[in-house]
Amino acid sequence: MEEIAYIVHPAVVTLAGALLGALYFAFLRWQTQVGSQRVSLIVGAIAGAIGATMLTAPLGYCMFQGDQTSEDVMVGWIMVGLGLLLTLNIGSVVLWRYFRGQRLLPRGDTTPGAFRGRFGLVYALAVLSPTILVLVYFVYLPMFDTLRFSTFLARFGAPRTRFICVSNFSRMLGDLDYHSNLFLSFALSFGIIIIAMSLALLIASMLNQPIRGANVYRTLLIWPYAISPIVAGSIFGLLLGTESGIVNRVLDLTLGVKVPWLVTVPAAQISVVLASVWNVIGFNILFYTAGLQTIPKDLLESASIDGASAWQQFARITFPLLSPFTFFLIVTNTIYAFFDTFGLIFVLTRGGPTESTFTAMYRVYVTGILASDIGKSTAQSLILFLIVVGITIFQFRVGQRRVQYGNY
Amino acid sequence: MLRRLVLFLILMTLATGAFSTALAQDVIELEAWVAFSDHRYDWAVDTADRFNALHDDINVTMVSVVDYDTIVNNYTLGREDGTYPEIVQLFDAALQFAVDSDWFSYAETIIDGRDEVLGHPVNFDDIIPVISNYYTVDGIWASVAWNTSTPIMYYNVELLEQAGIMELPLTWADILDACVALQPLVDDGTISACATWPFSGWFIEQWLAQQNEYMVNNENGRAGRATEFNLDTDAYRAIAQFYRDLYSNGYFIFEGQDQWGPPTQTFISGKTAIMMSSSAAARAISEGAAATGFTLETTPMAYNQDAPSGWVGNILGGATMWISNGLDQAVEDAAMAFLLFFSNTENSASWHTASGYVPVRNSSIELLKNLEPGNEILWDIPSGGRVDIEAADWYAAFPNFLTASTQLGDSTVNNATRGSTYGTFQQSRPYYNGLVEEYMLNGGDLDAMIAETNAELTELLQEYNFLFADE
Amino acid sequence: MTESASSRFVFDPSAGKERPLWRRLIPQRWYAHLILIVSVVIITFPMFYALLISTQSNPEVYNHKFTPGSMFFENLHTVMVQRNMGRFMLNSFVIAMSIAVGKTVMSVLAGLGLVYFRYPGKWLVFGFVLITLIMPGDVLLIALYRRVVSFDAWPHPYVALTLPLLASATGVFIFRQHFMTMPPDLSEAAQLDGASPLQFLFRVLIPLSWNTIGALMVIMFLFGWNQFLWPLILLRDQNLQVVQWGMQSLTQNLEVGDNFGPMMMGVIITSLPPMIVFLILQRQFMKGFALTRDK
Repeated sequence: MEEIAYIVHPAVVTLAGALLGALYFAFLRWQTQVGSQRVSLIVGAIAGAIGATMLTAPLGYCMFQGDQTSEDVMVGWIMVGLGLLLTLNIGSVVLWRYFRGQRLLPRGDTTPGAFRGRFGLVYALAVLSPTILVLVYFVYLPMFDTLRFSTFLARFGAPRTRFICVSNFSRMLGDLDYHSNLFLSFALSFGIIIIAMSLALLIASMLNQPIRGANVYRTLLIWPYAISPIVAGSIFGLLLGTESGIVNRVLDLTLGVKVPWLVTVPAAQISVVLASVWNVIGFNILFYTAGLQTIPKDLLESASIDGASAWQQFARITFPLLSPFTFFLIVTNTIYAFFDTFGLIFVLTRGGPTESTFTAMYRVYVTGILASDIGKSTAQSLILFLIVVGITIFQFRVGQRRVQYGNY
Repeated sequence: MLRRLVLFLILMTLATGAFSTALAQDVIELEAWVAFSDHRYDWAVDTADRFNALHDDINVTMVSVVDYDTIVNNYTLGREDGTYPEIVQLFDAALQFAVDSDWFSYAETIIDGRDEVLGHPVNFDDIIPVISNYYTVDGIWASVAWNTSTPIMYYNVELLEQAGIMELPLTWADILDACVALQPLVDDGTISACATWPFSGWFIEQWLAQQNEYMVNNENGRAGRATEFNLDTDAYRAIAQFYRDLYSNGYFIFEGQDQWGPPTQTFISGKTAIMMSSSAAARAISEGAAATGFTLETTPMAYNQDAPSGWVGNILGGATMWISNGLDQAVEDAAMAFLLFFSNTENSASWHTASGYVPVRNSSIELLKNLEPGNEILWDIPSGGRVDIEAADWYAAFPNFLTASTQLGDSTVNNATRGSTYGTFQQSRPYYNGLVEEYMLNGGDLDAMIAETNAELTELLQEYNFLFADE
Repeated sequence: MTESASSRFVFDPSAGKERPLWRRLIPQRWYAHLILIVSVVIITFPMFYALLISTQSNPEVYNHKFTPGSMFFENLHTVMVQRNMGRFMLNSFVIAMSIAVGKTVMSVLAGLGLVYFRYPGKWLVFGFVLITLIMPGDVLLIALYRRVVSFDAWPHPYVALTLPLLASATGVFIFRQHFMTMPPDLSEAAQLDGASPLQFLFRVLIPLSWNTIGALMVIMFLFGWNQFLWPLILLRDQNLQVVQWGMQSLTQNLEVGDNFGPMMMGVIITSLPPMIVFLILQRQFMKGFALTRDK
């Protein structure tokens, strides 16, 4: 057998993981003072070893081999880190449940009113199966089919592919353009979410007042939501052209100025944010109006009797009670802003000027769908996916603490 | 009794079924995918119907697939599961892909020396050389030209005259001079700027060809498979500098990469005096200019007067019709016959009138110069049918439609003007166009930018070659 | 809830007092009207501008005419007849309705399974469903296409088109949260009566969930209505194509330049069916529905 030269030997990786796991579990043991010292050390080492190898071993530790660049090795360490994050977290939860004498898997939450009976699982699986089957076959399997390409040099329609280890990822590590694409995705998404949600909340609160014509206002305000992002891009293109756009035409006639909306920085970025806000705000208004209806009026009434101002009522009662809706909207708006705006950007700015509106998902679209460069594109989308998973977990964590659950 | 009736009915159904299948087998069904969905699609359907009327045993169906990229993607997918058409329209940038995929029968191979196919004459010599040469692969004529265009200049004559410019600009220097002369009109608010046009990578390709320069090595990929990008040239630098000069002096309105609508709109509304666009827009721009009320004149695409080679020629743009391989001889012939009909003298002339795409045949140009009543050539967009051209000489009546044909007809045929062919064409366009954009807007170290982009594009190209080239 | 009923509870400091003249002249809650009118003007401006352009010819658009143009019927004809938009709208309506109904049914069932049973690893199942929300669907289309065409006995292309889209993470999320706000006594009582979970679903849960169902139907209908890339690569028969395909063919301007009138006519016309669905369901929607999370 041919001897493979490693920059970092797999055994070192495994041992490092095991060591880290053992240390972490020892720390947890010391912190909680629950369970056996020896068992936690052993389980920690095993979890660490699994974590360090679970993502790198399936690729044959290729990223640690002699012919790889230092970026490849770094990607390897990141994969080790991600694996550790996963196994150490799950491992510690499970182990300490065991130490505390709890069941290994949470017994489902103790929803009051759940059906009793021995066939709960069977019944639940039966009603869940349509959703699960469709997801497995039409979402998860295509996802795995696609992700396979992230370690390949692959082009759509090509007679062959080539395994290139983690090059698609390490390429991104050093690619300043890609970093700015990612940063831009964050910045634009942040802008879109903040503006679209706060405006929607303001508008929905006004709609919730007992005023005449609320139906008409509401219908008109939701209208743009019936437009797909690509078509929204076409409309805004007509509005915002420097010479051809109606907005500049009006500004020119009234104020004598023309704003180069789509071809200068930061005007182009602002334009993309505003067009996206316009496109998504109807959705937010819809949910906030529905949410406002659920706030018990007697709460507000008693607050007003206690002398709370309108603002205090909003800040202390309305907004906290709306938090499940806010939370839901933050998650869905994040997904819209990260994933669904590429069509709008394609039509409106082509990512320009000088790539100033080139978001990460737009890059995925350009590389994968327009240029058929599947390997790079799937690697990019995997990164994007991990980032949004991270954001969502973060939002859930924060949400867990902040969201108020009205028992009404 | 009832049983017999049922039996009888079943037999009848089977018999008619068999009979109609037998009938259907006699008709050769051809599907053609095209990227258009507007009046150009209507024209294609109408022409296919005319062909079907000539042949009882052939039925051509036109399917619109929205855009060029989708056609390539869908055809590739269709190849996997057998849902691909007999005829497909592929754009210029997909030429290398079409060659590498091994999915198509070349026209010249199908024709195999015959001088007619199913009664439709073959006459290659009639096709304008720079057009037939674009689609010649390894010396074999591969696909049948359909929509062919080339960039030309459009001028608002009244505005130029107002600025005292009596001769239409022909070179980059002429344009810059004209812009200096037009500046008073900008200052007094008559117009917004001297010039605008779509900021498209296609123009960069054209200007390289004009200066006798290659985009990629191995003579644009025509002498052998291209392996490296060739951006580090004076010709490319000159293009970037020309844009920089135009923009930094405020002569040029930039509306974003590949935005075709806004510049056209600006020019037609009389806000700029100079515009450059595809000849395919000739009809739309002529109609717009007439509605706004100014005189439109066109010239060939402006060229770099300082290029050592002088003006060499332009490349065509557009798309051609390819025939899928692996078809039965009869089906292949039917497809070939249809494409010969589709691009014959009358149809090519009619197609030209529908938009401004150049007629691919010299005989079509002759025909349009010597028209007789009852010619039924002009495509009437609102009614979606052909009507007579009333003038005896189309080009005398609409001289702006001749410019593109002249430009292509005068072009020297060499490997610069045949255009580049390489696998990452579509992927590379935003790079070399974006570089010029960045230099135009922000300036900077052009040499360093070129070196970086050239290396990136070469790497992409080599990746493509690794996956597609024969080992 | 009717307007008058809700207004009874709203805090109004001036109630019962003699109001000064200026208060009586200016409509009550003028600030709400002001904010709403400003919002409506800004937000609907692009739509009304599109409406204006839909009546114009290209030169009228080029020259920024602010008055309705001469081409309304021509543009309407171009869109509906020449470009076959009527057919596409019908197709899309069928597809969007199937998706909306299918997604809602499956989400209700999944919500039932996630709330009203006890079994270990429930959060795993929920996470399994929820995480699909973040998977960039457009990237998966080619792989999905291969999966779908590998089965060649689809009764109709629309079945192949809609089935992969029927699972909805959003729907499951919303129904799960909604069911969790239901008082537990409901299912306790149902169990005492010996009702099966499905009977409970149909007799109790669904009648109490019309608001949520209505809300979800609006969103899911729009999701189906806006499908573009997936039908584009899957459907080979042009007559089966969808409304966004029609829209794209109106906006595509390869080399020739836009046709603004028909394009904007398309925008307006294709935005109407989702609005009609919304108007039909808005009474359900506006009764509000609750979302909650694990306690």
